[in-house]
Amino acid sequence: MIGCYDFCGHYEWTFEWLRQQGGEVLVHQFWDKAIGQDSQRHAAALIAEKGFAGMKEYWAHTLAEEAAGFTFTEKLGVVRIDMHKCPSKGFLLRNGLEQYSDYCDHCIGWIGPMMKKAGFQVHHEHNHCGKCWWEFRRSSDSSPASDTGILAGQNDVRLHEDWAQHDHSFDVFRNAVDASKKAGSPPSAGSLQRFDPMTQRHGFSAVSRQWLCYPPPAVCHRDQTTDLTNYEQTL
Amino acid sequence: MTHPLSYHDTKPVGAADFYFAINATFRFIRETLGAEALRAYWQDLGREYMDPVSQRWNAGGLPAVAEYWRAFFAAEPGGKVEVHEQKDRVILDVQTCPAIRHLRAENRTIDRGFCQHCYFVSEAAAEKAGLTVRVKGGNGRCLQTFCPKEAADGPQKMEDIEKAS
Repeated sequence: MIGCYDFCGHYEWTFEWLRQQGGEVLVHQFWDKAIGQDSQRHAAALIAEKGFAGMKEYWAHTLAEEAAGFTFTEKLGVVRIDMHKCPSKGFLLRNGLEQYSDYCDHCIGWIGPMMKKAGFQVHHEHNHCGKCWWEFRRSSDSSPASDTGILAGQNDVRLHEDWAQHDHSFDVFRNAVDASKKAGSPPSAGSLQRFDPMTQRHGFSAVSRQWLCYPPPAVCHRDQTTDLTNYEQTL
Repeated sequence: MTHPLSYHDTKPVGAADFYFAINATFRFIRETLGAEALRAYWQDLGREYMDPVSQRWNAGGLPAVAEYWRAFFAAEPGGKVEVHEQKDRVILDVQTCPAIRHLRAENRTIDRGFCQHCYFVSEAAAEKAGLTVRVKGGNGRCLQTFCPKEAADGPQKMEDIEKAS
């Protein structure tokens, strides 16, 4: 049986399996059809029916269940989510799992089409290290993304020193409703740095408990996993 | 002491709503690529993603298999599973499958081949450790027997695995 405990691991593995079968088109189709329209149909129903209130109701439940570190900000005509510790990407980073080129794209891959159907548009950025932000507005609202701190104050993830501290790239989506509308690109394979067991340079910092923004290793090695286990036991 | 699971989360139990996505993934692959592709997906998953599990089973034999499944089901919400370790086999007595239970509770249409994934994924993972698995039952309750290949009671009969509903 495959389970929900390590779901993010085999979910991410599945993206690459699908890409090898049918290219990025199939991966994007999977996010929209299987995740957005099937798995997360309860989210689509809530948001289509209740709009901004539905977003709050959906993400309050699901992000709490996944033990995410996030803030939810609702202002007139806009909802903003600042993700400080993505549980999903965090699981992959801690376990050294990376098969697909950009796991983070899966969120806009299903949320984007869902929001389009519900009459909303999306501004979004992710930093490939477990941090991202989202702004949802009515499709008729052409407002640009907010300036840093304007909507979420100190909770704005862009204010955190590790948002852009290291040598990694951001993916930027503006007025986007699917994963192909990306401005920016993930780190190239050559820029990926492997986990260093001596410096423990990815995963949680035992001191600050903030994400270290080093790109994850390209593949998982069992001995690295063992190192991470020991590391976690010291927290 | 090494954790019996190869991949670890910070929370002790997984989020049950992820069963929605597992079920939806099976349905998507079946409807988009076909039943044979779905079998191939499960087998690839067992061989590749679960490779660290296979390595542990290969090194530790049946005690490692039992240890893995005890830890696995302890981290899955809502199931009731007994793991019986015998001299030549490990039997999982799945009295309440956590996935089927949650999907039913949330009124989800369960992919009819859902229970087959337990055989194809586990068989692919077990094969690399010189083991094999037989699944009998399904649709919420089943027996899964892990043993050395030479100790198996004949091949897996697919009709022994119930369609999920």
